Amino acid sequence: MNEPAASPILRASGLSIHFGALRAVDDVSFDVPRGGITSIIGPNGAGKSTLFNLLSGSLKPSAGAVRFDGTDITALPPARRLRRGLARSFQITNLFFELPVRENLRLACQYYEPRVKLWLPVARNTRAADRTEQLLESFGLGKRAATPAGALSHGEQRRLEIAVTLASQPKLLLLDEPTQGMSHGDTADTEKLIAALARDTTVLLIEHDVDLVMGLSNRVIVMAQGRKLTEGTPAQVRGNAEVQAAYFGDKP
Amino acid sequence: MADAAGRVIRRTEYILLAATAILFVVGLMAGDTFFFRLATESLIFGGLALAVDLLLGIVGLLSLGQALYFGFGAYVSALLLKEVAPSFWLATGAVLAASAVVGYLSSFIALRSKGVYFALITFGLAQVAAKTVYNTRELGASDGIIGIPIVVIGTPFGGLDTANAPVFFLVTLGVIALLYGLTKYLLATPMGGIWHAVRANEARLPFIGFDTLGPKRAAFTLAAMIAAVSGALYPMLRGFVSPELLYFSTSGNAVVTVVLGGVGTLIGPLFGSALLTGLRSVIGTWTEHHQILIGLIFVAVVVLAPRGIVGIAIERAKRRAGEQI
Repeated sequence: MNEPAASPILRASGLSIHFGALRAVDDVSFDVPRGGITSIIGPNGAGKSTLFNLLSGSLKPSAGAVRFDGTDITALPPARRLRRGLARSFQITNLFFELPVRENLRLACQYYEPRVKLWLPVARNTRAADRTEQLLESFGLGKRAATPAGALSHGEQRRLEIAVTLASQPKLLLLDEPTQGMSHGDTADTEKLIAALARDTTVLLIEHDVDLVMGLSNRVIVMAQGRKLTEGTPAQVRGNAEVQAAYFGDKP
Repeated sequence: MADAAGRVIRRTEYILLAATAILFVVGLMAGDTFFFRLATESLIFGGLALAVDLLLGIVGLLSLGQALYFGFGAYVSALLLKEVAPSFWLATGAVLAASAVVGYLSSFIALRSKGVYFALITFGLAQVAAKTVYNTRELGASDGIIGIPIVVIGTPFGGLDTANAPVFFLVTLGVIALLYGLTKYLLATPMGGIWHAVRANEARLPFIGFDTLGPKRAAFTLAAMIAAVSGALYPMLRGFVSPELLYFSTSGNAVVTVVLGGVGTLIGPLFGSALLTGLRSVIGTWTEHHQILIGLIFVAVVVLAPRGIVGIAIERAKRRAGEQI
């Protein structure tokens, strides 16, 4: 199963999903190379989040296939995809709001432990516990560990969302608008964080903030109305007339 | 679970235990049988409420048909005691095993849906079972099964006579305490964490690597077993079983008990059961319409203290400790 390192970590081929007459994602193909940051941009309704749902297993495509790390994962449910190393965050914060911050992370780290330990006291799961403390520390949430996730500030919740997604040490991290609703300061911090994450793993990013995308990404995929418009380096994409028309709103 | 909540639950356990010990001594001195039988009944229905709380308070599944498993345990136990051998170990052991199978199999039906539909399916399953029992002559139909022999529990230290009210009270206390302890243990495992997480945000769990159906099935099966083992004790106390044990009134009373005691606290339901059984008995001496008063109390609790008695205590303790609720 070992593919050469140059092979893409993720390959979408001919992905489509139709809701009635609406072609939310229509015949989209692309590769995500290993390492670095690949971004998907596009105006509202371009099908970016739907595409993420297809990649992470929330939705089953009407047609097309997803290969991850050399294996066809089109039919796998989300939990199995995660266990293979594909993790995603959510645009709308999606946490265990009633549970403390530490428990949110501990649950996400439980993945490291053998299944039988699910039935043994939590204290026996030392690897998950260590990783939890590590994440609390590195995401600056240590002081908030006992607070229910629902009582955190918006910025803290967004950070926890990424920390929970990162807990499984994924090979590919899908980040769905991580800076959504953040202040300028928080956005700058998150930008640094994403750049740091990309040193250890591959990042596929959906982002509204075009400046942030252009500054961070190695590759950019542009979507409009469910289709892939173009892809390339940030410079190539910026120079593309179609993109100018569809996304930046300029008349060609 | 947060520290303040843990402390309140611990304290409630001590209070219940101390009250039990005091009342036990008082009852012994008074030589009163009725009182012990009433306390035993409250424990048995407390076990049923515990099962409902595991599903409702921890996993977030409202079962309106937990009486199905309670009645199943009671009938299996009654039949074995009467037809096979009056053995406590045979009856409880067989009920434990059989309810694991029945609970697991019915989870495939009940867990096909969520929310209100789950509640309706559990309700429907229990109704079907109740009507079936009611119409089956071999199971005594509407009369139930009567004439269950007195059981002497064989132990290495000699026989325990279940006809002796204080003795059987202690036996029941032991069984319910075991069920409670087991449930509490499981809540402190990662599986317990996943159960809490299902209630908090089921949709997120697959994205941290956990399928939710498996853990829900495990909880459902466990709740069936807890209800059934509690039910298995019923014919030993009463000497008979009847289809009423499977009726909605039994399931509904268990839900009322859980809400009154404190949803998701586990000890609350046992507390609530003691309270409600006591109330029903006291009010029952004045009027036959005690359900009306119980209903009014339930409405008052839901409106004034939706978290129940133990829930209020936890809320207060958290506020005092400066924890967020």
